[in-house]
Amino acid sequence: MMGKVRSKIDIRLPESATAGDVWAQFRQVERITMELTQSYKYSLGKVSRFFIALENRRFLATRCPRCGKVYAPPRPLCPNCLSVTDWVELSGQGVVKTYSVLHFSPGSNDDVRALETPYVLAYVLLDGADTLFPHLLKAPPEQVRSGMRVAVAFSDEPVSHPIHLMYFVPIRGQ
Amino acid sequence: MSRIPVIAAVGATPVASEHRGCNPRDLMTEAVLDCLADAGMDDLSAVEQGLASYESDHFNLQMTLGAILHDTIGMIPKPNVRIEGGGATGAMALRTAWAYIQSGLCDSILVYGCEKNGRGVSSRTANQLFALSADVDWEMMVGGSYTGFYAAMIRAHMEAFGTREEQFAHVAARNRHNAGFNPIAQKPMDISVADVMNSRPVAEPYKLFDCSLLSDGAACLLLATEEWARRRCPAFDGRAPVYFVATGCGSDTMRLGDRYPEITNFRAKQMAAAQAYAMANISDPMREIDVAELYDSYSGVEIQAVEDLGFVERGQGGASVAGGAFDLDGELPVNTSGGLLGRGAPVGATGILQAIEVAQQLWATVDPRRQVANARRALTDTHAGIASISVVNIFERRD
Ligand SMILES: [Zn+2]
Repeated sequence: MMGKVRSKIDIRLPESATAGDVWAQFRQVERITMELTQSYKYSLGKVSRFFIALENRRFLATRCPRCGKVYAPPRPLCPNCLSVTDWVELSGQGVVKTYSVLHFSPGSNDDVRALETPYVLAYVLLDGADTLFPHLLKAPPEQVRSGMRVAVAFSDEPVSHPIHLMYFVPIRGQ
Repeated sequence: MSRIPVIAAVGATPVASEHRGCNPRDLMTEAVLDCLADAGMDDLSAVEQGLASYESDHFNLQMTLGAILHDTIGMIPKPNVRIEGGGATGAMALRTAWAYIQSGLCDSILVYGCEKNGRGVSSRTANQLFALSADVDWEMMVGGSYTGFYAAMIRAHMEAFGTREEQFAHVAARNRHNAGFNPIAQKPMDISVADVMNSRPVAEPYKLFDCSLLSDGAACLLLATEEWARRRCPAFDGRAPVYFVATGCGSDTMRLGDRYPEITNFRAKQMAAAQAYAMANISDPMREIDVAELYDSYSGVEIQAVEDLGFVERGQGGASVAGGAFDLDGELPVNTSGGLLGRGAPVGATGILQAIEVAQQLWATVDPRRQVANARRALTDTHAGIASISVVNIFERRD
């Protein structure tokens, strides 16, 4: 079956031709495997300082000097004013506004591939911020509720993507 | 004479989980030949412009696919253009074609769209590739996926308005049922609300049957001035003219969290609809639109859409959908084709397939079991991501 083609998956012979099939001579199908593997030198750009701060267990956001809006995740440019923002530090505490319990992992990177399912993707309004920060909430899914207080926790384990230097955990005793 | 474009002819392949025997150019060839047959034309020599509609170089494993498709169907050396707008690609392609004709740049334009989103890659790879269309730095790397973003959004809608899972399960069951009357549909099913509720959780509150399909397929639509169509397209005089009367487009932040506190509904869709309604002189869409194809990437999205398109008040989507207002025998039948849930969603073709469905509804040429009686005006609603881009197109039959 493989013949001379290492990547061959299969060859399908034409099914019995139906009357009037204009493609009758083109019904034989061969499939092969094609690989596309790439690696990038990917710049975290103007928000790099956020990720570097996570390594030092600090949680940063940006604030627009003109309209005062606080962005977490940070934006280098306020889209409302087109002003360049300033870095500010937040306490890392906040409240869950909505969430989903994911039963599959898209496997976006090694950290995500290592997640046990189900896991919780939470949108958190950090104290002092005006936007919601999406991240993992490490808590039993059945205990998660919109409105619950959470805090940023910092990972001590090495990670493949620096966003996994942090995650959210419930604040105990609330 | 008016430059409002008419739909001269349409064509499509069946939508399938995998067209094993076709690569993208083969799919496109079949859709274009189907469109030519519908037009009653022998060739494309009279058509002035080509427009390729596809989203992903990764899924199709080909860059500059537009040039290849244009070459494959013998449109060289005439001008071509490629349009990409995520999930809204097909509708944005038609909106662009509308502008090409209205501007006088051409009198005829062939819009051809295709995508190989089916089983050519594993569903894990598919999820990873689709996640690349989210914000890679912030949403994708934490372990997010579109199913998760949509799920978080419908949860916010449920908590704000009391929308219930059974209400969006109605959409999942109804659209798959409608697909049973559409010969090109990928996955018609007769399932109950209970079957949807009992399917395995994917991203809570969404379960397997709340999620739309990954598909291979192609679609083609010939748009022209009425004068061109009457002169060049033999089939045009044989059926009532259908005009592409209005188009609107809106946008929103890429990330859901940046929309806070507006996280229950689609602002981009509200804006797209407002523009299209103004252009079409529509003030009461629920009464003035007869049939619509809505972007049901997930079942609950249809509930959000009927609110954002102004069919019902905000917060009333769940009750009106579950009450049957948008069923085949309802006040405003939607997703008569089966939608993304039942017919399928080859991304670059999806918006074109929606337009084809409503055109055939207006011509009254679809299977009688899904035909909406006396339909005069139709709407398509298509969006990218979680409606970071939204396009609303409106079509009218004028006898
Ligand atoms: Zn500002």
